[in-house]
Amino acid sequence: MQMTDFPPALILLAGALLIPAAKGRLRWILAFALPVLALADAWQVITVGAESHVPFLGMTLNPVHVHPATPVFATVFAIMVLGGVLYAFNQKREHELPAACVYAGGALGVLFSGDLVSMFIFWEVMTLGSTVLIWSGKRDDSQGAGLRYFGMHAAGGVMLLMGIIIVVSQRVQAGDPDPLAFRHFESMITLWSTLGWDSAGMWLILLGMLVNAGAPPFSSWIPDSYPQGSPSGTVILSAFTTKTAVFTLMTAFAGVEVVIYFGLYMAIYGVVYGILENDIRRLLSYSLVNQVGFMLVGIGIGTHLSIDGAAGHAFAHIIYKALLFMATGSVLWATGRSKMNQLGGLYRTMPITMWCLIIGGLSISGFPLTSGFTSKSMVVQAITDEAARMAALGQSHTYLIITWILFEAATAGVFIDACVKLTWFVFFQKDSGLRPPEVPWNMRAAMIGFAAICVFLGIFPGPLYAILPYQGEAAEYAKVVYSVDHVMLMLGMLLFAGLSFFVLLPLLKRTETITLDIDWIWRRFIPKFWHDVATPLLESLDRAQKTVLEWLPSRATEEGALPVQVRRRLPGTWAVSVPVLVIVLMLLTYLVVYFWLLPRGGA
Amino acid sequence: MKYEMTPQEKRLAAIAWIVGLLVLGVIILIDLGVHHHAHFEKDGLTFDTLPEFYPMFGFGAAFVLIIVAKTLAIALKRKDTFYADD
Repeated sequence: MQMTDFPPALILLAGALLIPAAKGRLRWILAFALPVLALADAWQVITVGAESHVPFLGMTLNPVHVHPATPVFATVFAIMVLGGVLYAFNQKREHELPAACVYAGGALGVLFSGDLVSMFIFWEVMTLGSTVLIWSGKRDDSQGAGLRYFGMHAAGGVMLLMGIIIVVSQRVQAGDPDPLAFRHFESMITLWSTLGWDSAGMWLILLGMLVNAGAPPFSSWIPDSYPQGSPSGTVILSAFTTKTAVFTLMTAFAGVEVVIYFGLYMAIYGVVYGILENDIRRLLSYSLVNQVGFMLVGIGIGTHLSIDGAAGHAFAHIIYKALLFMATGSVLWATGRSKMNQLGGLYRTMPITMWCLIIGGLSISGFPLTSGFTSKSMVVQAITDEAARMAALGQSHTYLIITWILFEAATAGVFIDACVKLTWFVFFQKDSGLRPPEVPWNMRAAMIGFAAICVFLGIFPGPLYAILPYQGEAAEYAKVVYSVDHVMLMLGMLLFAGLSFFVLLPLLKRTETITLDIDWIWRRFIPKFWHDVATPLLESLDRAQKTVLEWLPSRATEEGALPVQVRRRLPGTWAVSVPVLVIVLMLLTYLVVYFWLLPRGGA
Repeated sequence: MKYEMTPQEKRLAAIAWIVGLLVLGVIILIDLGVHHHAHFEKDGLTFDTLPEFYPMFGFGAAFVLIIVAKTLAIALKRKDTFYADD
């Protein structure tokens, strides 16, 4: 391994070891230096187009490889860590910085993974780092939310791993010279469309990635877990898991139609749940789902322009979403409150935070002169271009027209959610009597810096377009992005959506409520069912249980000679029955997947 | 506890409302003079070239989404301590 192919991820992962050992000023110098070094290394690797191959357990892994979308994601990940560290500069949580390094290191590792195994390893590293980051939030429900988050991502990881095993074994049988490779923009799609259900591996990989993207039915982990981080922890959390999933989906599943539908559901879901939400950071989590939905639509369309749009939007999104979480984090930091019904009137004493929040809100809505305007509109353009192309070929494309309508409606929706509603209820509305001072200089500097990037990319999208996967298409698009037609379209649509918000304001009065989601099934229904129905049922079978578990064994062994009290204390009956049941179910699932879903000519 | 706005703040709020409505009016006027191209022309669909289509679309979309959300809330709204009550 030479200096040109050193994995950038290792630089950040090293930080997880170095930062806890360092004290005082050195700790912060390290925290600022590491993302800069990682970015420099990443660009060195990208410029050279370096590859590295490492033997591991009899396989040859490829932990350094440059995918078309690697440059744009690697750049924004590094900027994000830098901004996050600056924002966190005044906080004193011991575990947060090392956990952030592990998390971001894992994410960076995925971007440079040339094979499925390295990708999976870094994927899991990311899960570990982010879970610790949630726990170190130390809010009311941080522990529980962290556990639920971990469970969800462990399950997603298992799906991903199963998929990888099946796909790799398929490729080995097909005589693929590089069965571990993770770089199939085209061939994976061919495999997909020709193999159908035989490619269960592909479905499982897709599902594993969709779990991390926050796709249905697992969207609720985002509003459940991210708001449980500390003000600075949530800023870091918002950036990596979902966007790494976007990156991997883009690499493996570009042009797969089903991804569009997942994306559309997320775009609408995020808006509808956001409208009902009272907690400022949960609201932003919902709008995060909405934005990732837009990216998935771009990925599902699969043309060069739509991929550029999705990648460019991911870049812009990471910056403005971090900015929004910084601004709401500042409100939480300054007031100790995050519920909108307890806030209001903060414009008097927190004008900088307010303007930063507004710039973030305008960017997320795609308002002219902000980064969302120049990035997301590429996806919209790609939808209509693709519809025109299919119309010319006489192919059915009604779904694209519906996609366009829902996409634009969700754009109007996210404007009232993440921009108008948030600004109104936090900074105006009623006077809550709160007069908190502005946050410390480092938090303000991070916010102003990110707000500046949002505006800069809105006016000069050139530098962003230049690092997208297919720069040519984006450069062409740059010529029309600021047409009068397009600017007026967005202004008219967004501002009148805002009017709608104020017309319906009486309906939107804030209450201390949440909106139930699909996670109700595993958070409430299953535990209740187990406690109120299954347990009494099992207890009523007590006699049968005694016969099977006590009387019969006592006939077979000398244990029966033992006094009853001693027998009760022996391991048996309740203690192992539940885990055994779970293991049996898991093995059963494995069996079904193995026999039913593996290719018919299979092993 | 209720806090009253000072007269100066009230005046500022009134100005903000007026400016906001003026901006909307100006948008309507300018949009009359802008030709929006049809996104799905090849399908014979030109609904998006109607005058003031996008202001109406934005208003309507947001309106519908809010109503949908409020309808959903009838069944799905719970106190925010719902899961903490266990």
